[in-house]
Amino acid sequence: MTAFPRRATDRGETARRMVPAGTVFLALLLMALPLPLAWGVMPNVALLLVILWASIQPRLLPVWGAFLLGLFADLLFGGPIGIWALLFAAAVVAVRLFEAWAEGHTLPFDWAFASLAATLAHLIAWQMLHFLDFSAPLTPFLVQAALTALAYPAVAALAARIQLRLTVSAD
Amino acid sequence: MPPPSRLRPARRTSFARRDSNLALLGALFAGVVLAFALLLLLLQRVNPELGGRMRGATADALSPIMSVARAPVEGIRRIGSAIGAHRNVVAENRRLKAELEKAQAQVAESGKLAAEVKRMDALLGLRRPERRLVASAVASALSAGAGQRQAIISAGLSDGVRPRMPVIAAEGLAGRVTDVGQAAARVMLLTDSDSRVPVKVLRTGWTGLAVGTGGTLMDFQFDIASGTDKIRVGDRLVTSGDGGLYPPGLPVGVIIDAESNPPRARPLANPTGLGAVMVEAPWLTSPALVPVAPAPGEPDRPVAPAPAATAAVTPPAGAAAAAAQGTATAGTPPRASTAPAPAAAPALRP
Repeated sequence: MTAFPRRATDRGETARRMVPAGTVFLALLLMALPLPLAWGVMPNVALLLVILWASIQPRLLPVWGAFLLGLFADLLFGGPIGIWALLFAAAVVAVRLFEAWAEGHTLPFDWAFASLAATLAHLIAWQMLHFLDFSAPLTPFLVQAALTALAYPAVAALAARIQLRLTVSAD
Repeated sequence: MPPPSRLRPARRTSFARRDSNLALLGALFAGVVLAFALLLLLLQRVNPELGGRMRGATADALSPIMSVARAPVEGIRRIGSAIGAHRNVVAENRRLKAELEKAQAQVAESGKLAAEVKRMDALLGLRRPERRLVASAVASALSAGAGQRQAIISAGLSDGVRPRMPVIAAEGLAGRVTDVGQAAARVMLLTDSDSRVPVKVLRTGWTGLAVGTGGTLMDFQFDIASGTDKIRVGDRLVTSGDGGLYPPGLPVGVIIDAESNPPRARPLANPTGLGAVMVEAPWLTSPALVPVAPAPGEPDRPVAPAPAATAAVTPPAGAAAAAAQGTATAGTPPRASTAPAPAAAPALRP
């Protein structure tokens, strides 16, 4: 069941620490695939994973880690550099503040928070593009935000499974 | 006992002060990171070219990954279209036969016209710019962001690809190159919200712009040329050659919604299944200006005494000739309204 060696060698430990960032990285690559989608947008799985990992494993996804992943996202998506770097980092900060404010986790509560965060992030991204003289219509951003909100339970389940595997193999 | 894992939630220690110091430091660091991201954005506001080279480099790094990841997606797409094609093969066959008969008559006609155009060109000494192939490549669209509609192609700087070059797929125009890496390049697709392509309606000859919507369609923005005709569903848009970047006559899109304002068009080259594409040099090279004294004014020629009817006609004819000369020297591309059928246009002339 373990994907990593059970012995807590240094290499295994390092590999495990990379897992959250690795999943975000893979999600970004997945988002860049040429899938025949209705609106040409897919749920922002990477953003959801950033939000989830910042909540489940805050130490393994520090603000600068999210920043670097966001930088990669910007390069990958071909937009102006810094938008998702800022938003991923800001998402981590927002999750930390939210965690400090709200104790305990229920799915509807977390879902609502993630939906709100995703919608805000997409609206800010849209505004940023305008600020940088790109012409970006609002609709695709709203569609992506809505899809992201809908995808939350599935992505959360995935993150929970990975988390379970991580902690099991750490014993 | 195994060494303590850092994956476990941190236990509360008595070093509360140290913890709070660390938290403060962490908050400070987070602030610095956020400020740095904002700074990046501001820098790009000042200098939009800043990110171009880095994006080109990522295109390089991504190109092999994309070509591998593209294979299954492409396979599924092909299977889907194959099933679709098999479902109504008989009706399709009948329709195609009827179309073929009509097309053969048109081909004969257009062959005659092409020969005529060639003869006229020779008579006028008209210089038609030729299309020049720079590179052939495989394209893979990116479906990621809501902001951009882009593809990566497997040809870059080392193949002579430069920003601004038009990219043409089998079905029609795909877009133009924006950022260039060593062996790969980024292409802005027609549906990108920053994409503007000068087009004309094949049936009516109206010119306008095909503007990307950021979704899967394009808006056709045009000036109403006459009140009697209307844009219809199924009207085909081809490049007009205005602006000098895209060669005229390339298929761009087909109108699928004529009622909305502006009319909506679907790109003929499917962005998610571009496949093999050609990168061409910009159609017209921008002129390298040389300092030359302006042409001297032409002295009025004495009009030979003639019957009144011809005398009345002569000045306008002379003016028209002068105007024609003026446009010819200005290097304006000829309108391809009498050119051979645009369907034949993608085939490059040797």
